[in-house]
Amino acid sequence: MTDLQCSDVAKRFGDRPVLTGVNLSVAAGSITAILGSSGSGKTTLLRIVMGFIRADSGQVRIGDALVVDAPGTHVAPQHRGIGYVAQEGALFPHLSVGQNVGFGLPRATRRSGDRITEVLGLVGLTGDHASRRPSELSGGEQRRVSLARALAPRPKLVLLDEPFSALDAALRVETRAAVIRALAEEGTTGVLVTHDQAEALSMGSQVAVLRSGELVQTAAPRDLYQTPVDLGVARFVGEAVILPGRAGHGVVDCALGRLALLRPVDGPVDVMLRPEQIQIGPDVAADADSPEAVVVSTSYFGGQTLVTLRIRAGDGLAVTAATSSQDPPSAGDTVRIAVHGGVMAYVAGEVPVPTPVESTP
Amino acid sequence: MVGAIERRPLPRSLVAISAVVVLVTAIPIIVTIGQAISGGWGEVVHAFQGTDLGSLLLRTVGVALVATPVCGMLGVAGAWFVERTDLPGRRVWALLLVAPITIPVFLTSYAWAALGTEFQGFFGAFCILAVTYYPIVFLLASAALRGMDPALEESARALGCGTWRVFWRVVLPQLRPSLLGGLLVVALATLVEFDAFVGIHFSTFVASIYSQYQISFSASGAATLACVSILLCALILAAETRLRGNAAYTGVSHGSRREPERYALGMMKPVVLVGLTALATLSVEIPVYALIRWFEQATPQSSAGAAAGISDLLPATLTSLALGISAALLSLLLALPIAVLATRYRGFTVSLLERATYLSFALPDLVAAIAFAYATSQYTGALYGNVVILVLAYAVLFCPIAVLALRVSFGQIEPSMDETARSLGLGPIRALLRVGLPLARPGIAAGGVLVFAFVLSDLSTTQVLLPPGMVTLGTDFWADSSTVAFGASAPFAAMLMVLAAAATYMLMSRFGKTRLAGSP
Repeated sequence: MTDLQCSDVAKRFGDRPVLTGVNLSVAAGSITAILGSSGSGKTTLLRIVMGFIRADSGQVRIGDALVVDAPGTHVAPQHRGIGYVAQEGALFPHLSVGQNVGFGLPRATRRSGDRITEVLGLVGLTGDHASRRPSELSGGEQRRVSLARALAPRPKLVLLDEPFSALDAALRVETRAAVIRALAEEGTTGVLVTHDQAEALSMGSQVAVLRSGELVQTAAPRDLYQTPVDLGVARFVGEAVILPGRAGHGVVDCALGRLALLRPVDGPVDVMLRPEQIQIGPDVAADADSPEAVVVSTSYFGGQTLVTLRIRAGDGLAVTAATSSQDPPSAGDTVRIAVHGGVMAYVAGEVPVPTPVESTP
Repeated sequence: MVGAIERRPLPRSLVAISAVVVLVTAIPIIVTIGQAISGGWGEVVHAFQGTDLGSLLLRTVGVALVATPVCGMLGVAGAWFVERTDLPGRRVWALLLVAPITIPVFLTSYAWAALGTEFQGFFGAFCILAVTYYPIVFLLASAALRGMDPALEESARALGCGTWRVFWRVVLPQLRPSLLGGLLVVALATLVEFDAFVGIHFSTFVASIYSQYQISFSASGAATLACVSILLCALILAAETRLRGNAAYTGVSHGSRREPERYALGMMKPVVLVGLTALATLSVEIPVYALIRWFEQATPQSSAGAAAGISDLLPATLTSLALGISAALLSLLLALPIAVLATRYRGFTVSLLERATYLSFALPDLVAAIAFAYATSQYTGALYGNVVILVLAYAVLFCPIAVLALRVSFGQIEPSMDETARSLGLGPIRALLRVGLPLARPGIAAGGVLVFAFVLSDLSTTQVLLPPGMVTLGTDFWADSSTVAFGASAPFAAMLMVLAAAATYMLMSRFGKTRLAGSP
């Protein structure tokens, strides 16, 4: 059962194509993150699903209802029954928190106030908040109230547009957890749009990567991280170590030795693995195969330390490894390295689409 | 309005400057009250005996009470159609909807009078007031609509509201502060209106004040009656303050703004177009049509008179321009501290100072003008009959208009702009000069244009305070039209209309706007 189905959705602004035939299906009760850099068309896709803008072609189904069959059919936003959490919340400044939450409820339900208290509780706020003005709330509270307002009329589907942007790190984690919990408790399907890969991977049961108006990969977070379809996606969803190599018969030979491939490919390739797959240290099995490397520098990130290594055998090739910060090596140390798990390889020479630098909104 | 406004301590110098401005704008009121008191009890009794106060008040309040909400509806509806729907020819409609406020109201009055006798009296008075003053609401509502975050409307739509319900439940409440501000100005202006009724026979409370002067030459009697109108206006101000409450909504979201989606009018499009055409006909075409008629009426004798009068056209135009521009500049200067205070700070003192400036609107023009004449003759003999006093009187009378326009533009500028300038080492005044004023420049210009238009529309103040030997377009038009030589007055009316058209264009393109990148 799917709650949202987009088929061949396309949109141009003037001569500029913004979306080129997007296909996406979202299972009922799941959370899908649409991940893209700015200008990728992710907000446009969300606004087409909401009905705020019209698609040039394609279909959108919400549950069983066909809401967009462009260019003919376009159901008005208010008749789609989708919850919407705008960027920064968009709380009505002339109404109290309770009135905001009750906005979409029928008059009788609004008056009783039970549902308002209920959804406020769902997002981790108390009934005391109901009488406050939106301007008296913190940024995180505003997003929660906005979600509560969207959930109050019990929509099957809620769309969230960059719901955690401009929140500080701690508040982000906390608000994110509150959102996941609330969606799960209500059994509501969630689709959120974000440019933050960590957010997409941690929240979505499915992540759809949108690049230049095209959905390049839709997969479970783990699959997306381990087996991205190309180097561009690989770099976009996390830190990547990329080395030249030669592949064949399910393995690849490179400066890190002979490694197992997750997807078979033949010929000269670019090998892609994640920094945390590279294990370093004295306890690494010191067999003849494991290459030696010199530590060039280390950067401390709290739980993790990123270590830049120069491989002895590999013409001074540098790679980055992520190790536990418990006992990190120091610059100048010589270490042996081993690779944990399979790696990806992509036919060399296919220039990956560079990922544009995301501007912080 | 954008940006959270914190309760910050008020800067003493700004409060002091604002208090001085309030004192200056209060000059005519203080003088008038003084005159009323000096007349003693006997004069008071005499003044009220000589007038049928009850029925006059009833008529004055009645026509204001009917015209004000109609102006509100016309202005808000027009703004919504222009800013939020797919109405064809939106720029042209915006021009036509702004135009009436720049057309001198005495021209409108004579134009309606020329239509026929059915427009004499209450109905005609109501029509003239409604079509003259709705553009104030239109301008304010348009600016507010442009400044509104489209995400609010979208969220309401997502919660199941159709176009109509979004309007009632989200758009209208958001418009409340600017709508109330507009209605306040309209209500005050209509209550003390006199020039609008020069063409039709509609005697109001203000007319009775005028006749006190003309018939009995009783300054204190007229001042006593004027106190009634001050009281009325104070009541209206109090009511608006109460209604507005905390309604100066501080935006809680200032995410990236995008062009709002426009609602498709669909089947309603012809209906809306017919309605707007009717409104444009009533408010713009009638004065233009009357003007053409006056040119046609020019008989040989009156053309001879016109030829004599036409030599006045150039000096009259120059005088009107000079008066209008200097009054606009002076009233912007007066309005500036008040507008900064009102958009950046909150609290009782701020409300009190801001509201107090509106009181100068409470005096009928003639009363204010006489108060100025009286004060200058008493205390600054040298300035008596000097044109400077006329400019000051204009600036004081129309200061509320300038405050209104500046407030809208400053309100659109986020406090963070100011704070950034301050963090870069600028003091508050230099921050205002280098950031606030340049950003608000289009809106400031529009405020000046609005004051300029009001100066051109003014007859009463000009007639009292204009130094002998000087002529303006308005006084020349008046001199000729009162001798029923409309043909002779036509060139002056035409020049007034040309200036009105220029002012209209400036207003439409600049009112309530700022130069923020990507701002509405």
